[in-house]
Parts: sequence; structure tokens; C-alpha cells
Amino acid sequence: MRYAIERLEDFIAGIVTAAIGGFIVIEASGYGAGSLNDMGPGFFPVMIGSFMMILALVMVVTARPSAAPQPVDKNQMRGILCLTAAFIAFAFTVEAFGMLLSVFLAVFLSALGNRKTPVLYAALLAVGTAVIATLIFRVGLGLQIKAF
Amino acid sequence: MSDLLSNIALGFSVAASAQGLFYCFLGVFLGTVVGVLPGIGIMATMAMLMPITFHIDPTFGLIMLAGIYYGADFGGSTAAILMNLPGTATSAVTGIEGYPMAQKGRAGPALFMKAIASFVGTAFGVVLLAGFSVPLSRVALNFGPQEYVALMALGLVAASVIGTGRSIRSLASVSLGLAIGLIGLDLNSGIARFTFGQTVFYDGLPLVAVAIGLFGLPEIISNAGRPDLPKVQEGKIRMKDMAPTREDWRRSYMPMARGSAIGGFFGALPGTGGLVATFVSYAVERRVSKHPEEFGKGAIEGVAAPEAANNASVQSAFIPTLSLGIPGDPVMAIMLGVMMIHGILPGPDVIQSKPDLFWGLVVSFIIGNVMLLILNLPLIGMWVRLLKIPYNLLFPVIVAFTCIGIYSVHYQVWDIYVLLAFGFLGVGMKALNFEVAPLLLGFVLGPTIEIYFRRTLAVSGGDLGTFFNRPIATTIIVIVFAILAWAVGRAAWAGLAGRRARETQDA
Repeated sequence: MRYAIERLEDFIAGIVTAAIGGFIVIEASGYGAGSLNDMGPGFFPVMIGSFMMILALVMVVTARPSAAPQPVDKNQMRGILCLTAAFIAFAFTVEAFGMLLSVFLAVFLSALGNRKTPVLYAALLAVGTAVIATLIFRVGLGLQIKAF
Repeated sequence: MSDLLSNIALGFSVAASAQGLFYCFLGVFLGTVVGVLPGIGIMATMAMLMPITFHIDPTFGLIMLAGIYYGADFGGSTAAILMNLPGTATSAVTGIEGYPMAQKGRAGPALFMKAIASFVGTAFGVVLLAGFSVPLSRVALNFGPQEYVALMALGLVAASVIGTGRSIRSLASVSLGLAIGLIGLDLNSGIARFTFGQTVFYDGLPLVAVAIGLFGLPEIISNAGRPDLPKVQEGKIRMKDMAPTREDWRRSYMPMARGSAIGGFFGALPGTGGLVATFVSYAVERRVSKHPEEFGKGAIEGVAAPEAANNASVQSAFIPTLSLGIPGDPVMAIMLGVMMIHGILPGPDVIQSKPDLFWGLVVSFIIGNVMLLILNLPLIGMWVRLLKIPYNLLFPVIVAFTCIGIYSVHYQVWDIYVLLAFGFLGVGMKALNFEVAPLLLGFVLGPTIEIYFRRTLAVSGGDLGTFFNRPIATTIIVIVFAILAWAVGRAAWAGLAGRRARETQDA
């Protein structure tokens, strides 16, 4: 057991690689492999997937002890969640509501990701960036994104 | 000879035009800004500037993007010397000797020598680029699919094995990248691969979103929430403190020359690049130095050599990119992406068919580096002040501008989700110590290498021996296997040494 825990990182890496490689092989084997002189669409992906499974095996066999992977702390988690929200908010609003609102949301939400940033600052930064971005990209460069 | 002169004249007419100078300046200026500020990568900046490149001539777009590339390296090592906060990965090596020099009050000479070494490296790289690209592209016009398969395999293997990460994992990264590159309709059969019935997948994944997601986002995602953001102390650097002593000069000539040569070599090799070149040149200096005890405590050789190497590699990285259409690193992949958006098919005939683009770019490197000297020596104080912008106010703006940049490439909301997904893939890979650069190279080369591989074997009637009937292809394949054998040998040696060390420990 100690053997496996010390080598956790290599084991996880191997298992993930094997899983992806296996998935590629299974998915691509339905495409038709053809033959060497007339390759089908499945030939190359199956080759890649198999290669990944071999690599995964090597990773597990040659696993060496290493420091345990670091867990994500609370602050980082907050950053990750807020940034994800910011990107999704931009994607949801840019076509329907235009650049001013989508940039505002992207900046505001991602600014909240750092607990050192006061909400008021975040809002001010978001308003400023939205206005400047609209001026640069919509007015200046003439991008086909409506302002609002 | 007169050919070369007229080409250079053509390059000047492009690069020294008002527009050429403007976009070159914009590139190196913004490059220095992002290089100095830790936490914004070159890739994120390129994403933010994408919208501009659609509106201007592709030559000026490439001049600007290239300016960001070498400008960021320049700015990155400024931050590395002053604060030991390298703004780019390649400038970390400069900080090893540069920061101790700064602590001893010799930041000025370190910055000055860095600037000179960068310029020397660039000049050497540009000479290589101007000298080798044209002949190489002529040779490449005769390449069959065998040579292209061999060259791309060399690039992918070199990127995995010579890089900084563990070879096995990097090979897995390359493979995943190749597979992701195949997403979409297969051109030969019309079968949709890995699309799961979604039509948005049919054209494949957007290169820019994938690249920025992998390289730009993880940095921002993992730093955004940190309350203990790096602080910057007051720095006072004046122009008159910057002059290096005669001793500094004497100790820097040879390191610059060696650094340039090492950088030129690794830069031109597809798949490796600046990072490898800087590490190797630092290691070489340390080994050949007459006073190795000074290394780590502020040896000026350790500033001059990696800087020369880094900049030489930046320029020579353009050799395979422009003469063969094979990108050596992620930045070059983006450059090729911009060319394709403008309808220029990268390959050996670009130099012949678009000489203004090629030579304009070459001459702009020299002009851009002169601009960098001016920006970074007399105006150094400005950059020190810039370092005081707090990161928690900076990154939200980057997020918004990246969104706009990515969206503006195809005006597809879908691209933003791709960006985010690859951002998380990048974070996950970093957590498990997988390199992301090989994945991107695989992604870019995947479709092409498959097409050439199929074509090779269709022509030869399924005979794999065709790779060994042609001298150039055979040579390259032999090199590929030599690199692989070296990697296996190295890993086996390290494994043996590790086991022996543990056994002695246990005993």
C-alpha cells in the first residue's frame, strides 16, 4: 500500500493516460481501419490510442516515489469558480445583450475571485473596462459586436 | 549577393514604412509590458491583440505578433533581474544570476549587459534566418510526403524528449494533441471523427482558443484567488549607474557568442525552443567558467549567455516556421494560424510567393530590437513603476479582453467554451506534471501528419520501407530514433541511480 501511495502521482498519470487512450481506440475502431496502402479514417487514431496505452503502462511500471499532489485551497477555489462564472457569463450575454454588459460581467465576476478586491472596486473596474473596451473594439476597430 | 541586397531593400521598404514602424513599436511595447508584469503570458496578449490582426495586412499583423514575442522576453528578464519575478518562462534563467547581481547593487550593469546580449543574439539569429530560410525552402520544394512525415515526427519527438518535463508524459501529451487535432470531418472519407454528433465539432477545434486556453488561462486561473500576491519593492535605477565595467565586458564576450550559437541551434530545431536553449547555455557557461564558484551569486556570464541564447532562438524559430510551415513552439503555431486566417498557406513557397512578408518580417526584427534597446535602457524607470499595478485589478481586465479576442476570431460563442475547457485541461495537466507545449504541437500537426502519412503509404503501396529509400527522410528518421534511444538510456540511467540512492538510504 505504501508503495502505491508514494507513487500516487505516477499512478494517476498512468491511469488517466490509459483511460484516454482506451477511449480513443474504442471510439475510433468504429470508423473503419482500412489497410496500410489504403488507410481508413480509423487507422491513425487507433494507432495513437494504442501508443498512449503503451505509454501508460510504462508510466505505471516505472513509477517513482514523489511528493503528494497539492490540494487546492479555499482561496484558489474561489478564484477558479469566479473565473469560470466570468467566462460563461460573457459567452451567455455577448450576442444577446452586447459588449457593454458582457464585458462588465466578465470583469466584475472575475474580480470577485480575489477576496482582497472590494466589491465597489470590482464594480468600478468593470464599468471602466466595459466603456474602454467598447470604445476600442466597437468604435475604434469596428468589430461586429454590438455595444448593447 | 545582389539578390540578398535587393531582398533586404524590399524588407526595409515594408518594415520601415510608417505602418510597419507603428505595428512593430506596438508589438515590442506591449510585449515589454506583458513581459514585465508577471501573470500575463505572451499567449494571452496575443489573444487580446487578435482582433487587430484581422484588420491589417498580414505582414504587419505578423510583425506585431513577433514584436510581442521577443519584446516579452526582453521585459520578462527585466522583471527577473530586478525582482526575481520572471514574467516569462525563458527569463527565469536570467534571474538566477541577474537577481543576485541586483541585490549587490549591480542591477544596472546586469540590465545593460542583458540588453546588449539580447541584441547580439537577435542579430545572430536574424543572420541565420536570412541565410538559411531561402535555401531550405528551395530544398523543401522537392520534399515528398515521406520527408514531411519524418520532419514532423522529429518535431514532435524533440518537443517531448528534449523539453524540461518527463519524456514519457510529454509523449502522452503529444499523442493526446494529435488525437484532438483529428476532431472533425475526415477529408478523405467524410466521416465525422470524435464529434459525438455535434455539428460545432465538424470543422475541428479553433486553434487560437485551444492555444490560449492551454497557455494563457492556467496561469490566471491558479493565481486569481491568491491573497498573497507578490509585492514589488521600490527600485532606483538610473542610466548613469548602468555602464558595465571593463571586467564585465571582458567576461561577457565569449558567453554571448556561445549563447548565440546554442540558441540558434535549438531555436531552429522544430519542437524545442527558447526554454531549452537558455537552460543549456546556462549549464554550458557554468561548466566552462574559470570561476564556477561565483555562479548563483551574480556571475555576469549567467546573464549574458542565456539572454543571447534566448533571443537567437526566437529568431531562428522562424526558420522551420516560414520555410517549411512546421511550427517549433506554441507562439509559432499562433503565427501560422494568423497566416491561415489571411489565406496564406504556410509552406516552402511562402518565401517565394510573398517575399515582402518574409523579408519585411526579417528586417522588422532588427528595427524592433533597436526599439527595445531604447525602450529598456533610458526608459527603465517606467517599467519599474509599471510593476506596481496590483495583480488583483489586472487579471479581470485580461479575462475580458481575452474573451473579446477569442470571440472576434470566428464570432462564435462556442469558442469561449473551448477556451475555458482547455484552460481546465491545462490546469489539470500542470497538476499532474504533464507539459502542455507538446500537446499543442501535436494538435497543430495532427491533421497534416495524418494526411502525409496516408499519402506516403498510398503511393508506396503500403510499404513502410519507403521511409528508408530516400536519403533526407532516412537521415531524419535515424535522428528521431537516436533521440528516442537517448531518452530511454537517460531514463534507465536515472532510474538505476535513484534505486541505488534509495538502497543506500535504507541500509
